Amino acid sequence: MKDFAVFWGCTIQTRFPFIEKSTRLVLDEFKLPHRDIDGFTCCPEKSLINNIDHSLFVLTAARNVALADEHDCDIVSPCTGCVSNLATVKGELKYNPVEKNEVNSLLKEVGREFKGTAKLSHLVPFFHDVVGLQTIKQKMKKSFSGLKIALHYGCHMIRPSHALKNDDPLNPKKFDNIIRALGAESMNFPTKMMCCGQGLDRVDQHDLALFMARVKLKELKSLGADAMVLCCPSCFLQFDNNQYLMEKEGEKLGIPVIYFTELLGLGMGYSAEELGMNQHRSDCAPFIKKWEALLKKPDDEAIIENDLNTAGALG
Amino acid sequence: MLNAHLNFKLLEMCSKCGACFSICPSCVNLPGYDPRIVIKDILAGDWEKWLTSKSIWQCLECHHCLEICFQHYGFENAMTALRTIAAKRGIHPTQVKRGWDMFVKTSKLGDPALPARKKLGLPEPAKSGAEEFKKLYALLKEKKAKSGKTH
Repeated sequence: MKDFAVFWGCTIQTRFPFIEKSTRLVLDEFKLPHRDIDGFTCCPEKSLINNIDHSLFVLTAARNVALADEHDCDIVSPCTGCVSNLATVKGELKYNPVEKNEVNSLLKEVGREFKGTAKLSHLVPFFHDVVGLQTIKQKMKKSFSGLKIALHYGCHMIRPSHALKNDDPLNPKKFDNIIRALGAESMNFPTKMMCCGQGLDRVDQHDLALFMARVKLKELKSLGADAMVLCCPSCFLQFDNNQYLMEKEGEKLGIPVIYFTELLGLGMGYSAEELGMNQHRSDCAPFIKKWEALLKKPDDEAIIENDLNTAGALG
Repeated sequence: MLNAHLNFKLLEMCSKCGACFSICPSCVNLPGYDPRIVIKDILAGDWEKWLTSKSIWQCLECHHCLEICFQHYGFENAMTALRTIAAKRGIHPTQVKRGWDMFVKTSKLGDPALPARKKLGLPEPAKSGAEEFKKLYALLKEKKAKSGKTH
């Protein structure tokens, strides 16, 4: 496996350092060749930067990829936005040699060159394709069997597909496969692929952002989901923080929101506190409580075994 | 002005199709949001009125329309083009401006939360590339000024 630099992005390091904590614990536990490299900037965020200056958007992303190129390593990120933006620019430059030359003529002035050799992956497809479901299963000490998990993919984990090329952009499967490998049920529900709507918060339309969050959370409540699992800091902000704001206004939806790396960490035996899950705004305790109760129950195999080996109805 | 950003031939097809309407999360959930009307106005040359509308910022850039589009084009291109022109004229949401200002000043959208990192036992964050970024941005602005390009 090639070494990779972790691209943390601004949101995780600024607002959710506990996501960095669980990600580091998981990467170490799986003994994956990860490292931090100096010099990354914002990816940059598409909706804020690209709308104002496309050439700065391209130049900044190209510089970030160039850093990984120089270190001869790939990039893996636990943020969907970062991967999607970097990959979008990498794809654009690959098919536009004129633009690539323009970018490189500027990068040359600071001693860098965009080659585009670094492979860019989001953490979830990376775990599915490179780490592999078997290895994930082997590392798990505790199963999530009996729990109903509602996945929220996060648009930019899989789209735009011409740049990311990692799953079906309209009907993805990889995240589901991992959840099932962990023993849990990955629910099917009508709004599964609906965008979280956090983007509305970034354009001064907070009420509509809450409206969008409510659509999905209400559905999950009515279907009895035990938790929502995702791997995008922006979606996390939308469902964890905005759900908390709704609760403060008297609307309790009670859906614990769990980051992909936290779920893996729990399965490997770390406690919720060690993973920093007590820093979520929406309470994760109901999920942990139900899970712990399920773990205490003997599994089906043990019950059958017990019945076969003790005096049953046939004496 | 919009010609520089958009392919009108593809938009012409969009105005007759609308396959993305039922998959777009904003179209489905936000009353009054309908890019089909915006596209018709663009084709009729009557798009200036949209620059001050909240609608153009309600596109979530989720790329659903792009993926389902038979032309791999989608609503989002029309919305992005209008947003770019609006931003250039200074008509953008306060938070977009705030994010932009912070980005060009610091190269990031926020600094690592140091006390929280310490509490969690996280290592020192890697060094940022702010200085080099600022130099590059200055070079880019200089280049644009020379060529007379505005975007």
